[in-house]
Amino acid sequence: MTLVDQLEALLFVSEAPAKLNDLARVLNLAEGQIEQGLEILGHRIDGAGAIKLVKIAGGYQLATKSEFSELVGSYMKPQKQRLSRSIMEVLAIVAYKQPITNGEIEVIRGVQSDYGVRVLQERNLICEVGRKQTPGRPILFGTTQQFLHQFNLDGLTQLPQLEVDALPVLSADNGQEELMSTEEATA
Amino acid sequence: MRSKTAESSHAITPIGVVAPPPILVQTPAFEGTLAALFRCVRDRKVDLMEVPLEPICQAYLEYLMDSPETNLDEAAAALTVLAYLLERKAWQLLPSEDIEPEFEEPAALPDPTGYAYSDVIQLLLGGHEERSKLFFRTSGPDPTLYEIPYSVGEVTIGDLARAFENLIRKAEPDEIDVLSKPRKSLVEQMRVVLLCLTKEFRPITALFVGAYTRNDAVYWFLSLLELIRLKQAAVKLEGEEVLFAKK
Repeated sequence: MTLVDQLEALLFVSEAPAKLNDLARVLNLAEGQIEQGLEILGHRIDGAGAIKLVKIAGGYQLATKSEFSELVGSYMKPQKQRLSRSIMEVLAIVAYKQPITNGEIEVIRGVQSDYGVRVLQERNLICEVGRKQTPGRPILFGTTQQFLHQFNLDGLTQLPQLEVDALPVLSADNGQEELMSTEEATA
Repeated sequence: MRSKTAESSHAITPIGVVAPPPILVQTPAFEGTLAALFRCVRDRKVDLMEVPLEPICQAYLEYLMDSPETNLDEAAAALTVLAYLLERKAWQLLPSEDIEPEFEEPAALPDPTGYAYSDVIQLLLGGHEERSKLFFRTSGPDPTLYEIPYSVGEVTIGDLARAFENLIRKAEPDEIDVLSKPRKSLVEQMRVVLLCLTKEFRPITALFVGAYTRNDAVYWFLSLLELIRLKQAAVKLEGEEVLFAKK
């Protein structure tokens, strides 16, 4: 039983992206060795068949190749509809400015955004990550693993750098140090 | 010049901005909604001097008075638009040596379409498109399968609707039922319809013996559609007439 076979077996049963450190822990090997094994596995299964190895949402997962999308799509339930531009805008703001409150999103957009925030929460693309220690202790939102998965991103670092001047400044007190855990906030 | 309000169906536009109420503006210089007028004036595509604002304000007041449950967001959006239009027109009307100040779009009235994040949105949409071509293992032993729509050949929805219309037209008015009276289930009705169908194609009205009510017609028709979906009944078009048979 080779390392590549072991990795294939683990990825086959995995319903979510398998993290490098989890694979390393299970196989009792260094992350570097796992990475090498995954590279070999990727080449092996990419050569033939309908499956490929993808790096997504900070992990590795097996998926059907793009050329089979129509066939599989006609068999599986169609995926959810695309998000409207306004909701995409809220999502982009959360992705770049997280953790961020609904009020701050509205300051950036200049329009009411609670509908977009609600839809994104329902779709599990953003979630509550804490409370801001300001009057009213508003909820802070951040993106989820589902967001990375749905938008074919391996991590937030894959998002392009935006011109700092182009982004509206929220307030001087917007910072991670003010982030309070949800448990603390609800206590 | 005419301004009137129309029924609002969407409080939130596709661009995410709460839309002003659909006050329709009709002038020789401009014809369209209040929101469209705002955009055209902002983009300097319409000469505001040619558009009288008084009837629009009147229409806005009528909208407020006539709508007992006014959407405050909509009303506020309309007020913002009207204030903007009035300010722009005032600058044009009043003799002044001052140059009309440039409107700071993002700060005062944001235009989401020209937003700093538009490139990111495009990138995300591209990623989403790419991702939609990938399928991963689904959780659970019973993945949600997509039911491929059943084709009924040359018969269109319009043909079926026409058959239903004919059926309803010949129905007699329903008797008033006691509310608690149990109704026949669709499964029971499907069993009855299946017994009445023959191998020979016949119009739906030929399946009935004697008079029937509108309620019966609806039940019969729904049962027929379900039987077609389950491939136990067939439908075909003969001339203008829609015919049904047992499969």
